[in-house]
Amino acid sequence: GPGGVAVPRAGLKKYILPPDYSGIVFPEKTKLKFMDKVPAVPKVKREPRYLRDIRGPSREATDFIQGQYGILALGGGYLHWGHFEMIRLTIAHNMDPKNMFAIWRVPAPYKPVTRKSLGHRMGGGKGPIDHYVTAVKSGRLVVEVGGRCEFEEVKPFLTQVVQKLPFPAVPISRDGLREMRREEEEKKLNNQNPWTFERIVTANMLGMRKYLSPYDLRFKGRYWGKFFLKHRV
Amino acid sequence: APLPRGPVLSAAPVPLSAGWLPALHFVRRGSKAVTRHWKAMHFQRQKLMAVTEYLAPRPAIPPRCLPPKRETVEEDNGYARLLRRQVEEVFRDNRMIAVCQCNSMPNDDMVMMKKYFRKHNIEIKFVLNEIVRHVLSQSKYKNLLPLFVTRNILLVSREMKVKEVLRVLKGIPQVNLLGACIDNTILSRQGVENFAKLPPLEAAQGQTVGALALLPSQMSSLLQGGPTHLTALLDQHIHRLQAGETGSLAEPSPAHSPGAH
Repeated sequence: GPGGVAVPRAGLKKYILPPDYSGIVFPEKTKLKFMDKVPAVPKVKREPRYLRDIRGPSREATDFIQGQYGILALGGGYLHWGHFEMIRLTIAHNMDPKNMFAIWRVPAPYKPVTRKSLGHRMGGGKGPIDHYVTAVKSGRLVVEVGGRCEFEEVKPFLTQVVQKLPFPAVPISRDGLREMRREEEEKKLNNQNPWTFERIVTANMLGMRKYLSPYDLRFKGRYWGKFFLKHRV
Repeated sequence: APLPRGPVLSAAPVPLSAGWLPALHFVRRGSKAVTRHWKAMHFQRQKLMAVTEYLAPRPAIPPRCLPPKRETVEEDNGYARLLRRQVEEVFRDNRMIAVCQCNSMPNDDMVMMKKYFRKHNIEIKFVLNEIVRHVLSQSKYKNLLPLFVTRNILLVSREMKVKEVLRVLKGIPQVNLLGACIDNTILSRQGVENFAKLPPLEAAQGQTVGALALLPSQMSSLLQGGPTHLTALLDQHIHRLQAGETGSLAEPSPAHSPGAH
């Protein structure tokens, strides 16, 4: 046009290099291992509930080991054999065993859960062992997927798996995890609120510790029961 | 007191003062600490959670009011560098560069056009605007920038074949001449047409030489004009005197003197 206005049209084609998959080590078996319903040496002794293995942040399996993408748990919960089978089958069905691999980051069910038979009154002792479960705390990786693939390829079936888990979870990549941690730090730094949970609890302002648990010193308002409150700083 | 802003608050972590443990713990009633459902919080705890919520920073100027940050395109693209070098070479080597707008035309017509131009030793170069604009803006051909907007081609040659170019382009409606750079002179379309109408170099040279040589050729006649006239007049005068001497004996001279002039 008469102003010399640039008419948009296709410019020079920018050739992007294909991704570099050189540093990837494949495990021997690329598919997920079959997890037993009952551990090899089943626990004869029934154990108390110990719900504290659901509470709070996870200390193990918080970072990636071999794979590039994974499922991050954002809440606590128990995974039983049905969940394991679901994960194993969904991932095996949707992935390419030649170019992708998946590994478990949770152990097979080890914790016995007792159930009393239906319809009976209270009392009569503790019920027999019904099934076994694995405890998962928030911030733990459940499975890791890797190989010569991109996150966009892996995300659909990981999202499928995530929707069926008993706790909130999210498919995530290495970069995504790093980004999440960075954002948390940033939020902590640029919080305009001078009053933080941590500050009030450690100084026991207004006698707040009367209404809080000693665990809140550690959890700092981000965990409540088995739930992880992501929006809180 | 105004709230402290920015990271000043937690940048240098001050050790939080340890408080005292309450003498009386609140008896936990109802369900256990960890439940499958969302356990109802004590009201005081709810108030605490509400007070200690995250407040996002609000800059004085909202970011959407600021001019958008243009991400600079990296020019490490080797292919772009190569194309730019080629364009620079074209501008350096050729004497005549005509910029034409090229609309889409059938491939056969394109081939014919190339053939016609090849016969006159003119090359056609297809150029990408983003490369040419970059090259031109950094060279002395800045005034050619407005021409490179849509699909363009460059007709380049070492000789001046403007007449042939115009003739061929007249037959092809899809290619329009926009301008030309001939011998480092930027010409518009009108200029090119005028340039084509000019006579060839030798004739022009001859014309200038002739025009210049006109005055010197007249100079000798002009300089000699005065004295020649004087000599002619003196000759006449002598003739008249001589005729007057002899005419006093014979016929009077007035009959001859006007005729002698």
